[in-house]
Amino acid sequence: MRPEDKERVLTELHSRVLATVSRSVEAGKTRPDEVLADSIYHEMRRLKEDRDSRTVDADRAFWNRARHEMTRASDRALLDLIGQAVDRYGNEIAGHFEPRLYDLVTRAGEPALGLLLNAMSPKRILADFANLPSLEDALVVQGELEHIRRLHEVGTVIVVPTHVSNMDSIIVGYALYRMGLPPFIYGAGLNLFSNPLIGFFMRNLGAYTVDRKKQDPLYKETLKEYATLTLEHGYDNIFFPGGTRCRSGSVEKRLKLGLLGTGLGAFINNLQRNKPNPRIFIVPATISYELVLEAETLIDDFLKEVGKSRYIITDDEFSRPKRVFDFVRQLFSLDSRIFFTLGRGMDPFGNPVDDEGESLDPRGRRVDPARYVLRGGKPEAHETRDAEYTREVGVRLSDAYFKDNVIQSTHVTARAIFSMLRRQNPSVDTLRLVRQGAERDDVPLLDTYREVERMLTELRGLAARGGVRLGPRVADRTAEDVVTDGLRHFSIYHTSPAALRRGDRVFPTDRALLLYYQNRLEGYRFEREEGLRPVLTSDHRALGRGGAA
Amino acid sequence: MSGLHLAILGGGRLATRVAELMTRTPAQVRVWARNPRARETLRHAHPKAHVHDDMGAAVADADMVLFAVPAEALPEVADHYGPHARGDHVVLHACRGVGPGFTLPHAAIRAVTCVRKVGALGGPLYFDEASSQRPLVAVLASRYDEVAEMLKTLVKGTPIKVHTTMDVVGVEVAGAISNVAALASGMADALEMGETSRGVLLTRGLSEATRLGVRLGGEVSTFSGLAGVGDLIPRHVSSTRRHRDVGGLMAQGASLEGALQSVEGCVEGVATAREAAALAGRLKLNLPLMRVVNDILEGRAKARPALEEILKLDLELDKEAVGSRA
Repeated sequence: MRPEDKERVLTELHSRVLATVSRSVEAGKTRPDEVLADSIYHEMRRLKEDRDSRTVDADRAFWNRARHEMTRASDRALLDLIGQAVDRYGNEIAGHFEPRLYDLVTRAGEPALGLLLNAMSPKRILADFANLPSLEDALVVQGELEHIRRLHEVGTVIVVPTHVSNMDSIIVGYALYRMGLPPFIYGAGLNLFSNPLIGFFMRNLGAYTVDRKKQDPLYKETLKEYATLTLEHGYDNIFFPGGTRCRSGSVEKRLKLGLLGTGLGAFINNLQRNKPNPRIFIVPATISYELVLEAETLIDDFLKEVGKSRYIITDDEFSRPKRVFDFVRQLFSLDSRIFFTLGRGMDPFGNPVDDEGESLDPRGRRVDPARYVLRGGKPEAHETRDAEYTREVGVRLSDAYFKDNVIQSTHVTARAIFSMLRRQNPSVDTLRLVRQGAERDDVPLLDTYREVERMLTELRGLAARGGVRLGPRVADRTAEDVVTDGLRHFSIYHTSPAALRRGDRVFPTDRALLLYYQNRLEGYRFEREEGLRPVLTSDHRALGRGGAA
Repeated sequence: MSGLHLAILGGGRLATRVAELMTRTPAQVRVWARNPRARETLRHAHPKAHVHDDMGAAVADADMVLFAVPAEALPEVADHYGPHARGDHVVLHACRGVGPGFTLPHAAIRAVTCVRKVGALGGPLYFDEASSQRPLVAVLASRYDEVAEMLKTLVKGTPIKVHTTMDVVGVEVAGAISNVAALASGMADALEMGETSRGVLLTRGLSEATRLGVRLGGEVSTFSGLAGVGDLIPRHVSSTRRHRDVGGLMAQGASLEGALQSVEGCVEGVATAREAAALAGRLKLNLPLMRVVNDILEGRAKARPALEEILKLDLELDKEAVGSRA
């Protein structure tokens, strides 16, 4: 955020969150002491466990003081204490953005990824700079690029990408830069800022902090209101609607809508203030990797029993610079591509918009989006109504993700092997098959080719109907080529490859990884043709969103 | 009470009944009807209602738009309404059937208009009760609270009592399938198969409605409530009576065409049976009553032996319904 806006936003943030609290108090829904006690309870609980936080002493001192003062404070003094808490949260959340530094960073020719990789391990700047792979060649930016550029000119854009890796924010940031768009701001987990250098770069590439360990409702309200204010001030945003990286590897189907709803909130506020350019656009973006950096950790977490999976993972592959470096170098050595696909924009009600940003009905006629939020002739927020509008946006986003998901050789190969294993062991439950294996634990190579051939026919049909996208190696290669490429990818990076060929048979050497990569094809209902039930039930999907959701 | 503006789309029996009720309230009532004769009848019967042949004029100031047309006419009327639809319109329908491909009425409206706040009216809705000052009970299903708020404001002071739910799919499926069950029940009555058979067929209809509804995203509890069981019990609601009559005539050997000509009004259950049987095939769902009724309607099966086969089947309502979701 630009320094000239930051102070104004923080002041407004303070007054808005306090106004929300005051309204709840006036409506008899809560009392100031309850709000503060709730904050103290959640924060003290967090501080007990979160000893790594750099602000732990200052936080504890503040909340201890609040606890001490609240015992004899008037309502007004209590609101003042709440205001101080909001200010603390606001200052932590607000990123400091320096446009000049951003220009410098992005003009360096090897922007974002290279610098970030270096930032994670400064010694590498000297040792490996020349060997850093170029993101320029590896990233394919495709889809509705011109449409999104137009939307950026006529309103405020929220890009909502799929989320499987911590590399995603770098990919999105770089892709938008390459499209010639000014930097978008986005919320990034506080853990990503723990390295001072990477934190410095992320902030200056537009990140603000989201501390998912903070469960205090006041913090969540502050965060939501902050995002709303940035949109109202015309800052384009990136929201990761899964809330956390998808654990199962599947395309996100049920999205967390809290942050997404801020787009509608900002639109209503803009209308109420008669802003000349009130429109907010939501743009689905799908990121597709042939290999995923943190696949092993994520699927491992997914397979833990419900309730034991971790919402926040801080010790995964992304936290190990050498692992990231090797991943990128090896992935790119195989000419692998990362696909960043932008879909058509929509308004905060899920209506598609045209290139001028006008909302369209299903017949392509222009409609006035302001009408959706009128009550008594005036634009007004309405909690349950707006939640329903946002739910519809979530459904549209998920539809777009499925259509723009780029299927690559690793997904098809894993799916074929996994489906064959399931059919070979019909009496074994899928997750048990993954955890413990089964008697018939390998598959003939020729059968794998045949299975892939069948899948390719189906996938190519679906792609022709616009239901999915295919990577170049899946679009027009033979089944043998796809399997060879898939197995080659599995062998280059993961500690243990998902599957290995030995002679004329294929062995699933890491069944969990196999599940992870095959899950990218879940949700398309291919299992009907495969004579199987879906691998992921709704329980699994809930778990795949991070368990604690 | 409000000066809410209600636009009723349709010129048939339902539109007439609703206009009759609503012109007794402070609401401003406009009716759109395509048929000139229907417009004349409406003007004559309800001088307080403004009757239009121009859709734009009918819905111009509307707060609420009611589709008082059968399911088969819904896509066309919705398409006609589409250019005049607005995001702040609250839209209701009282369809008891489905469109091609088992398209539910709310989806048919959403497919061609910009509206979001759509509500489905279900339950017995026995309008004849209103004339004798008895309560008239409806279920309103909508995911938007504002739909229920507005309808409750609108019907304040009338004998209409509205129960609300968010389960649009459940209410629509229950309403549509109850007509197919009524066809089967009419057949059994005409064949003098007895009260027990009637009970079994209606229960089977409910079971199949539940299974199908749950599969499409509805809630089990909807089918055991007013929109489900509550809709099956009354025997004299006009649409139920029509369906029972058509079922009876077919069981006695009439052709479908002949049976349909002999009743006044639309028999939505015929298309619903066809679409439900087809959908069951696509979803690999076991819906024997839907299949059998459709076979009888299309002349592929004789009513008595086909219904007797249905009577022999097990009825495990909850188990079947819940199990189908997995």
